[in-house]
Amino acid sequence: MRALDRKLFRDIGHMKGQMLAVALIMACGLAMMIMTRSLILSLESTRAEYYERYRFADVFSDLKRAPNSLRKRIEEIPGVAAVDTRITGRIRLNLPGLSEPADGTILSIPDDRPAQLNQLFLRTGRLPERGSSKEVVIGEAFAKAHGFKPGDTIDVIMYGAEERLKIVGIALSPEFVFEARPGDMLPDNRRFGVFWMNERELGYAFNLDGAFNNVIIDVAPGADTAAVIAELDRLLEPYGGLVAYDRRDHFSARQLNDEIAILNGLSVAFPLVFLSIAAFMTSAVLSRLIRLQREQIAQLKAFGYSSQDVGVHYLKFALVIVVLGLAIGTVAGFWLGNNIVTLYHKFFQFPSLEFHPNYRAIGIAFIVSCGAALLGVIGAVRQAVKLPPAEAMRPEPPAEFKPSAFERLGLQKLFSPSLRMALRNLERKPWQAFFTTVGLVLATGIPIVPGAMRDGVNYLLDFQWDLAQRQDMTVSLIEPGSSSAFHNIRQLPGVLSAEPFRSVPARLRFGHRDYRTAVTGVPPNTRLNRALDRFGNPLPLPPDGLLLSAKLAEILGAKAGDQVWVEVQEGRRPRVLATVQGLITDYSGLQAYMDIDALRRLIREGGTISGAYVALDPAQQEAFMEEIKEAPRVAALGIKDAVRESFRKTTAESISLIQGLYFSFSVIVAFGVVYNSARIALSERSRDLATLRVIGFSNREVAGVLIGELAMLTLIALPIGLGVGTALAAWIVSAASTETIRLPLVLSPLSYSTAVLIVVTSALVSFWIVSRRIRNLDLLGVLKARD
Amino acid sequence: MTGDGPIFRARDLRKIYVTGEVEVRALDGVDLELHRGELVVLLGASGSGKSTLLNNLGGLDVPTSGELLYRGEDLSNADEATLTMFRRNTVGFVFQFYNLIPSLTARENVALITEIAPNPMRPEDALALVDLADRMDHFPSQLSGGQQQRVAIARAIAKQPEVLLCDEPTGALDVKTGITVLEAIERVNRELGTLTVIITHNAAIAEMADRVIHLSDGRISAIDNNPQRRPVRSLAW
Repeated sequence: MRALDRKLFRDIGHMKGQMLAVALIMACGLAMMIMTRSLILSLESTRAEYYERYRFADVFSDLKRAPNSLRKRIEEIPGVAAVDTRITGRIRLNLPGLSEPADGTILSIPDDRPAQLNQLFLRTGRLPERGSSKEVVIGEAFAKAHGFKPGDTIDVIMYGAEERLKIVGIALSPEFVFEARPGDMLPDNRRFGVFWMNERELGYAFNLDGAFNNVIIDVAPGADTAAVIAELDRLLEPYGGLVAYDRRDHFSARQLNDEIAILNGLSVAFPLVFLSIAAFMTSAVLSRLIRLQREQIAQLKAFGYSSQDVGVHYLKFALVIVVLGLAIGTVAGFWLGNNIVTLYHKFFQFPSLEFHPNYRAIGIAFIVSCGAALLGVIGAVRQAVKLPPAEAMRPEPPAEFKPSAFERLGLQKLFSPSLRMALRNLERKPWQAFFTTVGLVLATGIPIVPGAMRDGVNYLLDFQWDLAQRQDMTVSLIEPGSSSAFHNIRQLPGVLSAEPFRSVPARLRFGHRDYRTAVTGVPPNTRLNRALDRFGNPLPLPPDGLLLSAKLAEILGAKAGDQVWVEVQEGRRPRVLATVQGLITDYSGLQAYMDIDALRRLIREGGTISGAYVALDPAQQEAFMEEIKEAPRVAALGIKDAVRESFRKTTAESISLIQGLYFSFSVIVAFGVVYNSARIALSERSRDLATLRVIGFSNREVAGVLIGELAMLTLIALPIGLGVGTALAAWIVSAASTETIRLPLVLSPLSYSTAVLIVVTSALVSFWIVSRRIRNLDLLGVLKARD
Repeated sequence: MTGDGPIFRARDLRKIYVTGEVEVRALDGVDLELHRGELVVLLGASGSGKSTLLNNLGGLDVPTSGELLYRGEDLSNADEATLTMFRRNTVGFVFQFYNLIPSLTARENVALITEIAPNPMRPEDALALVDLADRMDHFPSQLSGGQQQRVAIARAIAKQPEVLLCDEPTGALDVKTGITVLEAIERVNRELGTLTVIITHNAAIAEMADRVIHLSDGRISAIDNNPQRRPVRSLAW
C-alpha cells in the first residue's frame, strides 16, 4: 500500500464516527432508491413475463349471450391476433365454518380447443378432465385462505342450483393477479374465490350451452387497440354486449399499475433529498479535514507530490464515504425490498414473485452519489491544492469576523458574549448554517409522515365506514331485480331499514379524458350510503346530474358545474351529458352517484335495482345470514365490518413497516446532522474552547458556547420542520393516493410532538457525546502550538 | 486575599509523563516559593520543565507527587471543578499565540472573563491599561500581533487576578512589539501588585524580573535575585 493511502486509512480511523454518519444518511437515500427501483423491476419483470407467458389478453368484453359461431367473426376483426370466448358467472359458496355468505367468479376452460389467452398457471393438481363433471380448479389465494387442496370438495350455488364440486387443481391466472371481488379495494380471500370449470359443463349450468358471455382478445403487435374495441362493440351490441375495455381499465391490471406508479414517485423524491444532505455533509466534513491538514498538504507538495496527487488523495475520502453508504444502502435496500415483496404476496398473486435486485439502479446510485459527494468536496480540494507550499506551512490568519446583523440593528446589549460568538459564527458561514438547518428541518419533517399515515388510516376507517357507509350489509343481485326483489330484501330477518340502488357500468368522458367505472343510482334522501362533503356533511343528491368522487373528478379534469358525458356500457348504451353537481369526499373507490330514478330513466328501465343497502339489527345478524345464504338471486354480500377489519389488518401491516422506515430515517438524519455539525464545530474551534477552559470556564460553560450555536439552529429548524413535514405528508399522501385507496391528510398533535421529540432527543444525545469530548480537550496543547 | 506568607509553595514537586515505555521526568523535585507583587522569570531551554511548572501553578495540570500549596491550599490533589474555579478566580493566562476568540471583539474577549469573575475591572479599563482604548471594537483579525497580545493581557488581568502567568508572551513577536507587550505586563505587575511569572528562553528578558529562576532537566539549577529591575524599554535582544 502506498504511504499516502495508509495515511488515508489512518485519517479515516480518526474520523470514523463522522464518516459513518454521512454514509448512513447517504445510505437512507440509496436504500430507498435501490428498494423502490428493485421493486419496480421485480413487479414489472415478473408481470411482463407472466402476462407474456400466460398470454394475458389486451381487450375484454362482457355480453349477455352470443352463439359460439360468432367467435369466427371476432377472429376476423382486423388487428385481432387471438380470441377466446368464455362463460363467466358469479357463484355463491357454502363454506363450512363461515357464517357469512361467500361468493366467487367462475370462468370456463375450453374443452374442445386449447385455451389461447389468460392461460392458467397450475400450482398443484390438474385441469378438469375433458367430459368430466363437477371438477373445478380454484384460485390459489382462496385455496390458501381455506386450506383447500386437490381432492377436497366445495359446495356452491350456481345459477340457483346447489352443486358439490371436486377440487382437482389449484391455479393462478394473469387476470387475477389481484385476486379480489371486482370493485373491492382489498382482497378478501376467505369470502371470495376464483374458479375454473369445463366450458360445456359451465354452459349447461348457466344456461349458456353453445354460447358465450365473455370475450378476450389478443391484439396483434402494431394494431390499433381502439379500432379493435370499436369493431368488437359493434359486433357484440346485438348480443347485449357491454362496451369493451383494454388493460388500462382491467380491474386487476389497474391495481398493479397503481402500485408501480407509487413506487416510481418514491424512487426519485426521497433519494434526492437524502443525497443532497449527504453531499453537503461530505463537503463540510472534508473541508474541515483539509483545513486541519493545511500544513500536511504543504509538506506533501514540498516533497514533490503534484496537486493532482493531493487532490486525488482527498477525493478518496469522499469515495470511501460513497462506497460505505452504497454498501449499507444496498444491504438495507435489499432487506427492505424483500420484506415488501413478502407483503406483496398478500395482495398480488404471481406464480413466483421474488425480489430482483436492480443492479443498474445500484450502478446509477453509485454514480449519483459519487457526483453528489464530488460536488460537495471539489471546492475544498481545489483550494487545498492551489495553495503554494510555503504559504500553506504558515498558520492560517485569524478568521475574519464582523458584528452580526442583529448587532448592527443595535440589539447587541441583549446578547451575552457566548451568544454573540454563536451568531457571528452562523453569519460567517451562512451555507453551513443553512444546510445544517435544512438537515434538521428534514429530520423534523420526516417523522410527521408516518404519524399522518397512522392518523389518516384511523380517520378513514371512521369516515368511510361510520359516517359515509352507514349500512351494515350491501346485498348485490345476480341480475337487476324488480321492486319485488327489494321488497324481499326488506323482509329478511333483522333488517331495520333498506335502500335500493341501481348500478350500471359506464364510461365518464370529459374533454379528452375518460374513465370506466359504475354509475350508481340511489334514492335522493338516502340515509345509509351517503355522499359527504369534506366536513362529513351529507351532500344533497340533485334530481338530475351527478355527484362524483373528488378523485374521479380530478382524473377527468372536471370540476363542479362541468358537464361530463355518461356513456352507459350495457343495454342500449345510452349516452347523455350530465352536470357535475358536487364533489364527494371519500377515501376508497371512485363513485359516481345519480338519482336512482334519473338513472332508470336514462337506461329506460322501471323500478329495477341492482341490490340494496341494509341496516341490520345485530341481534338478528345470524338469522339474516342464514336466510341470505339461501336466497338464490343474491350474488354477493358486502359486510362492512369484515371489509373494515381486513383493511385494518392489511394496511396496518404496511403502515407499520413504512412507519418504522421513516422513523429510522429521521433518527439517522437528525442524529447525523447534529452530531456532525457539533463535531465539526468542536474541531474548528477546539482552540477557542480550550482557551476558554484554561481561562476558567467550566466544562459546562464551554459546552454551552459550542452547543448554543447548534441549539439555535435546532430551534429555528423545528417550526420550519413542522411546516415542511406537513407539506411532505400532504405530498406523500397525495402521491400515494390511488383510485382504490386514498388517505386523508390528518395531522395530530401526537405526530408533531413525536417529530419534535426525535429531533430534540437526537440533538441532546449528540450534544452529550460532544460534551464528553470537550472534557478531554487538550488544554496544555493550546498553550504551545498553533493549530 | 491578603496574607504575608508566599502565594505558592512547592515542595519536592515531580511530574512524570509516561508515554509507552518512555518515562519523561518533566519536573524532578522542585522546591519554590513565590510571593505577592513579585515579577519572576522562568528561564530554561526547551524541555527544561518550565512550561510544566507553569501549568501546575496555573491549575492546568496536577503534579505526580510532591506538595503544591496555593495560600496553604493543596492544589496537587484538587479535582477538576476546584481547579476550574481556581483558574477562574485567581489566575490570568497569557499565551504565546494570544488565543483570542476570533469571533469576539477586543472588548468582548475581555468581557468573556469579566462576566464570570467575582471582582473584575471594567473591560474598558483593562484595555486602557494596555493602551488599547482606541481599538476596543476591533476583531482579532483587524489587530496586529502585538495588539492581539495586549488584548490577551487585558483579558488576563481584567479579573484582577492574584497571579499572572505568561508563557512565552513575546515568542511570536518582533522585538519592538515584544517590548510594548512586556511593558504592559510590567505595568500590570507594578500597578496591581500581581504576582507575575513569565516563561521565556530569551535571557535578555530576565533583566526586567525581581527573580530569575533557571530550570534545566526538571530541576531548579539556579535562582538569581536582581537587585534592581531593569526598565523594559531599555531591554534589547
